[in-house]
Amino acid sequence: MQSIFADVGFGHFLALGAVLFAIGVAGVLLRKNVLIIMMSIELMLNAANLTILTFARMHGDLGGHSFAMIVMAVAAAEVAVGLAIVVAIFRGRRHVDVDRLNLLKH
Amino acid sequence: MSARTVTTLLIQLALGGLVAFALAGRAQAQPQQPVDAEARAQAQAQPIDPPRSSTPAGKGVSKRDQVQSPSAGAPATAAAQRTKGGLALAFWAFAALTVLGSVFVITRKNLVTAVMGMVGTFFALSALYMLLYAHFLAIIQMLVYAGAIMVLFVFVIMILNKPEDEPYAQSGKFGKGVAGVAMAYLLFRIGQVLIDVPSHLSAAQNAAPAKTAAGYDWGSTAAVGMNLFTDYLFPFEAVSLCLLIAVVGAIAIARPLKDDPSEPADAPGPAGAGGH
Amino acid sequence: MDTIKFLWVVPFLPLCGAFLNLVLGKRLSRQTVHFVAVAAVAAAFFTSLYLVVGPLREGYAAWKANGKTGAFELTEYLWTWISAGDLHIDLAFRLDPLSSVMILIVTGCSTLIHIYSTGYMEHEPRYAAYFGYLNLFTGAMLILVLGANMPVMFIGWEGVGLCSFLLIGFWFENEAYATAGRKAFVVNRIGDFAFLLGMFLLWWATHGVDGGKSLDFSMLRHVGETNAAVYEQVFWGRERLAAAAGILLFIGACGKSAQLPLYVWLPDAMAGPTPVSALIHAATMVTAGVYMVARLSFLFAASTTAMAVVATVGALTALVAAFMAFAQTDLKKVLAYSTVSQLGFMFVGVGTGNWSAGVFHLMTHAFFKAGLFLGAGSVMHGMEGSGDIRIMGGLKRFMPKTRWTFLIYCLAIAGVPLTAGFFSKDEILAGAWASHHDGWPAFYGKLLWGVLTVAALGTAFYMWRLYFLVFEGEYRGADHVAHPHESPANMTVPLMILAGLALVAGFVGIPHVIHVGGTAGDILHFFPEWIGLSTKPMELHLSNGTTYVLLAVASAVGLAGIGLAYAFYGKGPSKTVDQLTAGPLHGLYEASKHKLWVDEFYDRAFVRPFRALARGTFEIADRFLIDTVVVNGAGFAVQTFSRISRWVQNGMVQRYLVGVVLGTAAIFLWTARSEHPTFSYKEVPGGIEFRAEPGHGLRSDTPVQWDFDGDGQPDPGETAQVVVKRPGDVASRVTLFMADPVWGKRDRDGKPKNLTRVTRKVQLATPAAGSDGGGR
Repeated sequence: MQSIFADVGFGHFLALGAVLFAIGVAGVLLRKNVLIIMMSIELMLNAANLTILTFARMHGDLGGHSFAMIVMAVAAAEVAVGLAIVVAIFRGRRHVDVDRLNLLKH
Repeated sequence: MSARTVTTLLIQLALGGLVAFALAGRAQAQPQQPVDAEARAQAQAQPIDPPRSSTPAGKGVSKRDQVQSPSAGAPATAAAQRTKGGLALAFWAFAALTVLGSVFVITRKNLVTAVMGMVGTFFALSALYMLLYAHFLAIIQMLVYAGAIMVLFVFVIMILNKPEDEPYAQSGKFGKGVAGVAMAYLLFRIGQVLIDVPSHLSAAQNAAPAKTAAGYDWGSTAAVGMNLFTDYLFPFEAVSLCLLIAVVGAIAIARPLKDDPSEPADAPGPAGAGGH
Repeated sequence: MDTIKFLWVVPFLPLCGAFLNLVLGKRLSRQTVHFVAVAAVAAAFFTSLYLVVGPLREGYAAWKANGKTGAFELTEYLWTWISAGDLHIDLAFRLDPLSSVMILIVTGCSTLIHIYSTGYMEHEPRYAAYFGYLNLFTGAMLILVLGANMPVMFIGWEGVGLCSFLLIGFWFENEAYATAGRKAFVVNRIGDFAFLLGMFLLWWATHGVDGGKSLDFSMLRHVGETNAAVYEQVFWGRERLAAAAGILLFIGACGKSAQLPLYVWLPDAMAGPTPVSALIHAATMVTAGVYMVARLSFLFAASTTAMAVVATVGALTALVAAFMAFAQTDLKKVLAYSTVSQLGFMFVGVGTGNWSAGVFHLMTHAFFKAGLFLGAGSVMHGMEGSGDIRIMGGLKRFMPKTRWTFLIYCLAIAGVPLTAGFFSKDEILAGAWASHHDGWPAFYGKLLWGVLTVAALGTAFYMWRLYFLVFEGEYRGADHVAHPHESPANMTVPLMILAGLALVAGFVGIPHVIHVGGTAGDILHFFPEWIGLSTKPMELHLSNGTTYVLLAVASAVGLAGIGLAYAFYGKGPSKTVDQLTAGPLHGLYEASKHKLWVDEFYDRAFVRPFRALARGTFEIADRFLIDTVVVNGAGFAVQTFSRISRWVQNGMVQRYLVGVVLGTAAIFLWTARSEHPTFSYKEVPGGIEFRAEPGHGLRSDTPVQWDFDGDGQPDPGETAQVVVKRPGDVASRVTLFMADPVWGKRDRDGKPKNLTRVTRKVQLATPAAGSDGGGR
C-alpha cells in the first residue's frame, strides 16, 4: 500500500489518459444528447492532451507543449462550430436527440 | 436535483482544496532544487526514456536511491521521499477526481450536473499537468477549457434547456455491447503494456527537468512561447486561421435564416398580387 | 530524290475551307460560305499549277541534265508520323508526273464543280455543311494522290470514303438516301479491309530492307528493282508475294472504284446531290483505285497473276455494267453504270501494263463524265429535280447550252474520232490487243480486246439512247413540268469549260503511229511519256498497220453504236423498241432492267443471312446476356447488397463509432498475433542451429536461456540467441527462456520475475543419432 502511493510513474499518467479516453468513447456511444456527446469528445481530446504532455515530460521535449496548445485551439474551434450546429439543429427540430437525427438515412 | 447540486459543490470544494495542496507541495519541492544541483545534473545524465532497459546495474537497488543518495546524503533523500509521497498522493487524488468527473459527465441526466462534472475533470487535469511540470499548459487548461469552453456549453444548455426522459440512446444496443467488449480489450492491452513502464523511472520524474537552452524554466510560459513561436510558428499561424474560419463558420451557421419560408414575410407584397 | 517546298499547301487549303465551313458555317452568310469554299479549292488549283510548271519542271530539267539517274520525283517531308520498332512512317508528300496529273485533275474539276454547286444547291438549307464536306473531300483526295507512302495514302483513302458517305446521305431525311450512304460505306469497308491486309503484307515483306522508310513508294520501287527476291517470297504454295499483295490491294481498289463484285454501291450512290456524283462518283474518288494500281505498277508488274486478275475484272465490269445501263430509266443511273463500265476500261488499261493509257482515260473520263453528270444536273434543275427520262424529250428547245455541251460529252464517251475519249479508249484497246505477259494464254489479250470492243459499242449505244430520249423528239413531260428552263450562268459556264476539255484533252496523247516531230510533237505525244516517268516501263509490240486497223475498228464501233441508237430512239421511244423488248429480246431487257438481279442475289446470299445472324446475336447477346443477366443482374446485385449495407450505413453516428472502435480493436488483435516470442531450428553442417526469434518489439540484446537436456530448467552457460548443437546433445523437447518486457512478468524494478518460456518439439528430417527422441 505504501509503495502504491509512494511510487507513481509515467505509466500511471498514461493509464489515466487511456481510462479517460475510454470514458469519452463510452459517452459518445451511449448518450443521445448531442451536447453530452460533444462533452465526451472534449474528454477524449483532454485524454490525448494528457498523454502528449506525459510523453513531453518523459522525453524532455517542449514540442509536446506546443502541440497540446494547438490541440486546445482546435478543440475550441470544434466546440464553437459544433455548438453552432447544435443550435441550428435545435432551432429547426426542437430537439438534439441523435436517435432522431437520422435525416441521412432516408 | 438539489442533492446533486450539493454533491457537485462538494466536489468543487474538494477539488479546490486539492489544487491548493498540490501547489503547496510544489512550493515546498521547488526551493530544494538549487541545493540539489548535483543530483539534478546526474538526473539529466541518466537516460530518460528506456522503459525496457534492464541493465544489470539497475538490479537490486532502486534507481531513485541511486540518483539521490550519493550526492545529497540521507537528509536530502528523506526530503525527496516526503515530497514524492505528497506528489504521489496528489496524483491519485486528482486522477480519482478526473475519472469521477468524467463518469459524471456520461451518467448524469441533468445537463448542468454533467457540465459541473466536466469542470471538475478539467480542474483535476490542470493539476495533473502541473505534476508534469507543464505550468503554462495547466493555466491555459483552466482558462480555455474551464473558463471559456465550459461557459459556452452552459450558455447553449441554457438556450436548449430541455429535460430528457431517457438519457441513453436506444439504437444499436447489440453493436454497442460489442463495442464495449472491444473497448475493454483495448484497455486491457494498454494496461498490459503500461503497467510495467513507470516504476523505476519515478526518480527521474520527480527531479525537475533542466532549463531550456535559452535559460528558461522547463514548461514555463517563456519556454513554451519560445518553442511555439520558433519551431512551431507555422502550425501556430495555421491554427489561428483555423480559429478564424471556425468563428466565421459558427456565426454563419447559428445566425437565423433571413429568408426562412416558414416565417411570415415582413413586408407583404402589393395588394392584389396573386402570390408567387 | 529531290525535295520540294509548300506541297503541303495544296491539301491544306481545302481542309482549311472545310474547317471554316463546318465549324463556323452556320454563322456565315451564303456568300461567305461559297466564297470560302470556292476560293480554297481555286487557290489549291493555282498552287498546284504553279508547283507543276515551276518546281516540278525545273526538277525535271535538272533530272534530265543529271543523265536521268534514279526515279524522277520531288518529296516533301513534314514530320515523323509513326515510329515503332521497324515501323517508321513519315508524313510526307510526293510530286511526280503521275501525281501532278492527278492533282491538276482533282483541283481543276473540283473548282468547276464547286462553282456549279453554287447554282445547283442554291436553295439548300444546309449550305455550309455541303460545301464543308465538298472541301473536305477535295483535301482528302489530294492527300490520297500526294501521299508519299501507303499509310498517308490510306488517310486520304479513308477520308474520301467518309466524305462519300456523308455526301451520298446528304439528304438523310429520306430513308432510302441514308441507306444508300450506308451501303456505300459498308461495301467500301470490305475493300478497305483487303487494302489494309495488302499493306500489312507488303510491310511484312519489306520491313527488314526498307531502310527506315516503311511502305514508302520510292522505297517499295527501289526494293523491287534492287532486291527482287523480296517480292518473290513464297507465300501460298508456289505463288509470289507480289500476287497476294497485289490482289489484296486490288480488292481495295474494287471497293473504291466500283468494280465487280463490289460495284453495287455506286448506282445507289446517285442518291446524293448531282454535283457530288460528278465530283466523287465520276471524276475523282472512284478513280483512286486506278491511280493506286498505276502508282504500284512495279508491284503489279512483278506478278502476271495479279495483272490478269486486274485486267479480267476490269473487262468483265466494263461489259456487265454497259449491259445494265441499257434499260435504265433514270438519268443518273445510266450515267452511274456508264461510270462503272468506264472504270472497267481503265482497269484493263493498267491491268495490261498499259499504265499511261489507264491514267489517260482516267483524265479524259474525268472531264466528259463530270460534264455529263453536271449536264444531267442541269437538266434535273430545269425539270424541277426529276431524273426520269421517260418524261423528258425535246429538251433541246428549252436548254440549248446544256444540250450542246451534253452532245459533245456524248461524242467523247462514244469515242467519235478526234474527241478526247477516242484517243484514250483507243490506247486501251490497242494495249489490250498487244498485251502478252508471261503465263498468259496467247489469245488472252485479243479476248480482252474483244470484250472491250463490245462494251464500247454498248457504251456508244446507251449514251446516245440517253441523249436522244432526253433532248430529241417531243417533250413528254408537260404533265409534270410545264416549262423546263435553262440553268443560270454559274452552272452553264463550268459545263462549257468541261466540254472544251472533252474535245481537246485527247491531243496530249495521240497514238505513236501518227508521228509528229518538233515542239508540236512534244505536246501531242506528251502524256504517255510523262506518265511513263512514274511507272514501270512496258513495251507494246504493235505494227503500224495493226494500229491503224484497230483505230478504224474503234471509230467504226463508236459510230455504229450511235447509229444503232438513232435507229431505235432517234425520234424518242418508238414502237419498234416496245415490240423488241416485249418479244424476242424480252429476257435480255428484263435482265438489264433488273441489273442482272445482282442486288437481289447479294440480298439473299449476304444481307439476309447476316441480318439473321445479327438478330440471333441480338436475342442472345443483347436481350439475354446484357439485358437480363448483366443489366438486371447488376440491379439485383446492387439491390441485395444495398439491403445488407443499409443495416451498416444507417445514418446513426453512434453506430459508426462502434465500427471505429471495433476496427481499432481488430488492428490490435491482428498485430498481437505475431508478437509472441518463439524460436526456430534447422539442420546445418555440424549440428542443429537454434535461433531465438523474440517476436515484435524486442531487442537483439534480450537475454535468453536454453534448455537442451529436457529437464525443464535453463542450462547453465547457454545464453546466446543463436546456438549450434550436435544432434546427440539435444533432447526431443527444447525450451527457450527469455526476459520479455511485454509478455513476461516483471517486478517493479524492471527485472523479469518469471522468464517467458517457449517449448517446442524438435523433429528432424534425418533421425538424430543417439537422441532419446523415441521414448518421448
